[in-house]
Amino acid sequence: MDDFILEMNNISKSFAKVRVLNDITFKVKPGEVHALVGENGAGKSTLMKILMGIHSPDNGEILISGHKTQIKNPREALAYGISMIHQELNPIMDMEVSENIFLGREIHKNGLVNIREERNQAESLFKEIGININPRTLMRNLSVAQIQLVEIVKAISLSSRVIVMDEPTSAITQKEVKTLFEQIDRLRKQNVAIIYISHKMDEIFQIADRISVLRDGELIGTFPVTDVNNDQLIKMMVGREIKEFIPKTVVPVGEVILEVDNLSRGKHFQNVSFKLHAGEILGIAGLVGAGRSELAEAIFGITQPTNGVIRINGIPVNHQNPKHAIRNKIALITEDRKQTGLNLKFSVKDNITIVSLDELSRMGIINDTQERKAADDFIHNLSIKTTSRNTLLANLSGGNQQKVVLAKWLLTTPEIIILDEPTRGIDVGAKRDIYLLIGEMVKTGKAVLMISSEIPEIMGLSDRIIVLAEGEKTGEISRQDFSQELIMRYASAFNNGGIQ
Amino acid sequence: MNSIKNRFEVSSLREIGIIIAFFVILIILMILSPNAFAKPANLVNILKQASINGILAMGMMFVIISGGIDLSVGSIVALAGVVAATFAHPNEYPLIVSIVLSAVIGAGVGLFNGISVAYGNIPPFIVTLGTMTIVRGMALIAANGQPVFNVTKAFEGIAGGFVFDVVPRLVVYFVVIAIICAFIITRTVFGRRVYAIGGNETAARVSGINVNRIKVAVYTLSGFLAGLSGLLLASRLISGNPTSGQSYELDAIAAVIIGGVSMSGGAGKWYGTIIGALLIAVIGNGLDILNVSSHFQLIIKGSIIIVAVLLDMKGKGKI
Amino acid sequence: MKSIKMVSRVVVFLVIIAMIAGCTAAAPANETKTYGLFMSHMTNAFTIEMSDAVKAKAAELGVELTVYDGGQDAAKQAGQIETAVTQGIDGIVIEPVSVDGLVPAIEAATKAGIPVVVVNQKISKPEAASAFVGVSNVEGGILEMKTAAEAIGGKGNVAFLLGPMGSDAQIGRTEGYYEVLKEYPDIKVVFEQSANWKTDEALKLVENWLQTGTEINAIVANNDGMALGALKAVEDAKLLDKIKIYGLDATPDALAAVKDGRLAATVSQSTTAQGMTAMETVVKLAKGEKVEPEILVSFTLIDSNNIGDYLK
Repeated sequence: MDDFILEMNNISKSFAKVRVLNDITFKVKPGEVHALVGENGAGKSTLMKILMGIHSPDNGEILISGHKTQIKNPREALAYGISMIHQELNPIMDMEVSENIFLGREIHKNGLVNIREERNQAESLFKEIGININPRTLMRNLSVAQIQLVEIVKAISLSSRVIVMDEPTSAITQKEVKTLFEQIDRLRKQNVAIIYISHKMDEIFQIADRISVLRDGELIGTFPVTDVNNDQLIKMMVGREIKEFIPKTVVPVGEVILEVDNLSRGKHFQNVSFKLHAGEILGIAGLVGAGRSELAEAIFGITQPTNGVIRINGIPVNHQNPKHAIRNKIALITEDRKQTGLNLKFSVKDNITIVSLDELSRMGIINDTQERKAADDFIHNLSIKTTSRNTLLANLSGGNQQKVVLAKWLLTTPEIIILDEPTRGIDVGAKRDIYLLIGEMVKTGKAVLMISSEIPEIMGLSDRIIVLAEGEKTGEISRQDFSQELIMRYASAFNNGGIQ
Repeated sequence: MNSIKNRFEVSSLREIGIIIAFFVILIILMILSPNAFAKPANLVNILKQASINGILAMGMMFVIISGGIDLSVGSIVALAGVVAATFAHPNEYPLIVSIVLSAVIGAGVGLFNGISVAYGNIPPFIVTLGTMTIVRGMALIAANGQPVFNVTKAFEGIAGGFVFDVVPRLVVYFVVIAIICAFIITRTVFGRRVYAIGGNETAARVSGINVNRIKVAVYTLSGFLAGLSGLLLASRLISGNPTSGQSYELDAIAAVIIGGVSMSGGAGKWYGTIIGALLIAVIGNGLDILNVSSHFQLIIKGSIIIVAVLLDMKGKGKI
Repeated sequence: MKSIKMVSRVVVFLVIIAMIAGCTAAAPANETKTYGLFMSHMTNAFTIEMSDAVKAKAAELGVELTVYDGGQDAAKQAGQIETAVTQGIDGIVIEPVSVDGLVPAIEAATKAGIPVVVVNQKISKPEAASAFVGVSNVEGGILEMKTAAEAIGGKGNVAFLLGPMGSDAQIGRTEGYYEVLKEYPDIKVVFEQSANWKTDEALKLVENWLQTGTEINAIVANNDGMALGALKAVEDAKLLDKIKIYGLDATPDALAAVKDGRLAATVSQSTTAQGMTAMETVVKLAKGEKVEPEILVSFTLIDSNNIGDYLK
């Protein structure tokens, strides 16, 4: 019999009469990468929260190296050698990187924190791993991707026996993923077990040894990675066939609706030019820090470009603030919905209507009936899964939250829609819904600018792709010429010593 | 039926809780002093005693929902009252002058607060702490350290007197202002945006809302209502007292918090604030009737605030 | 946007600086003798009248005087005295915030050779200071209560409105009330609460007392501010013919109320005389002269009979 480092046997859990986990037996070997897949709501997070001591199981037992263990809180989990990289990034914004890494196990002498030693150790950790971040930077000043990298480094440095990685690559791009996988290999050799939760199938097939599939609180099966293929996995996860994973409808492309001409904004991006046509999906690819989100924010009016022209339907525009851009029929779905896209304290209805209140009111007084109808229409059309339009947004799953963000902007009847990582942290089923939605958008003649770090996604949906590297446009590729290698080459143009 | 249910969505344990707590305390006081407390005349008294704090609390409600706080309202009450009384001596100025001046002074201080918070990017706690001190000083200077008395009967009649012989005018003002504020916060675009800013200011900005303009409006409104409260208090005391209003801001904040508005902004219902103001008045009145000293009343008020906040956090699953 | 932010920050900063500068008391000159007047607070007619009297006498005697406001905070007042002592002040006149709280600071001052005259409110250790000028608050309370007791025919219910608990005025005057009540066994005290010198607090308190239905024949207040609050409540309830109200301080608004026949009577503590005598006394002490340890000025009852003498 194999020795397992971790066994979760016959685990069941209910929340207020709703059964979330049903008699799950999940075992992990030392030194293996064990992928855990399933749609949102399948029970993966709950299972891991039980492992981390955040919840306690109603039934079942946990064995660590063969010993029965009760994990009552996260501190005990850490003491047993189990650590986790959470999907929801929760850094202490006003502390620096090194402080966040050593949070809870500060390097101190006689009660006084030794910040210099923390910085030194953080610096050597980063060097060892090959990530370029200054440990003295405030978390607040890092991009989402960099924050995720810091979380990864933190978990790796904890000398755990089991590391749970929950969507560790949702915000980072190919180059960093490669770095992460190198670290995972290193940990494997040290006999550390990794539980890898992700929706990115290609990554799983690259890195995992075994895969366990959860669906609706049940364990469907555990398989060596060589024994299954993508279609079979998806079928098990979703319970039905998915014919095309990324649906692409061909739509006739019309006139130039948005033209960006030599646009620059200081050191964020320089001399970027491109044209966007009605009915077109233009993908923007690139690495972390390439300047894609900054470009989107400048077009939308959150910031102002320092040079260059933006033209809509041929007319130059100058967006001093988002309200101008909205008036010019542009919508921006931001990268981080929790921080900038949604109001978690508001209901679904209120979130959907917040940008369009002027249209839904008369003389400043909101028309309740119109408002309710607008919300209901979108809840129906976008298949937003919610108990009612008055449900607080915090209670919806990630995928449905993202649909609410889309609904909010679609209500403004935009002509140009900018999407920044539209399917970040969203499960397979919801992703497909959103791909279909994007297809619907362009069918009616809208134009879509899509920033994405998922190569399959950007290649599957876009008509053309432009690539940014370190603030400059390094390439433009038409659909017939799409290839992963080409995109990667343009994206890392400067890192390899010049454009090739 | 459905629309009525929508109007009064009592979505959290907390909101039902405050209504129940209110009636429980009411009943306890009625039992403890059956003759004095439950008399209609006393209930009218309670409404009178709740009115000024209630008006301040309505303004404070807007500020706290937007994610801020206004510590200057108590001092504005004093300054506005002193100025109003100064211009209300017999045979000097028409009554309208006192009324307009108190409103303008209140709105003016509020405007300063709003601009400093929105455009100067200074935390509201600090700005309003500063104006609280400055305006108090102005009130003392304007009154030369002592109460300004000798006002006209008409001035006394602003807050005094009755409507339909039964309802005190002061209470009518409170009710009218409460209805208007409730309408604004629930049914207008402006009100919705105040909630949005308190809920997630960045997201609100990205949605194209002019956050700065709304913040200025919110603080100006709070100052304006404080100015009116100052006028009403001076009318009620037939004198403008430079020391009045001390810690009135705390009572206003207490009413808002007890009523269910979260200190972090973005949530809370208007009727909660009204119940909070009534609760504070009920307790003050009941304990006075039971001859409990005012010092002990402070302990009770503070304890209720803590319990209210704990219930709020429990309801949100934070504890 | 950035420039507006900058300008607003600068403006607020300048305002704060101006505030601080305005609050700083001017440093006294070196040649003439410098004295300090330490008031418990400066927010009602009594304290204004007192400080005006002291200032007038100082000007008459040709000495410099700085006035300090203790904000009803004993610790703050003690700090003000300590600072003045280190700055080398020549004499101190103090109207203390509380009976005990200022004793250490006063002792330190007299030990440093600086004469201290306590005015109006006694401290718990009178020998710590050089002299006391004032009124006996007990005497004031007796005068007020006696008038009230006789006015209601020697029997009935009375209610007391007290100042902040622990101040000499509150303790003394209330003691005076109870002294008088010994002679009047048929008078019962039905309510006794502190309204902290405040008009609005007194208004609310009396409003609520009236609701209880307990009969009240007279309300005796430790000061005029509270008496006027009680007056408004009683007038609103249309009970002025049944309840007589008494105050103490003879502030302008109270005098007007006596003249109009609304307030039954108030008691003047000859505030001006106290202030002037205190200033005179401390200058004498600074010159090395000997004075009586306790100099009392008498109270005067002011009611409808003699109001004409006091209200111009």
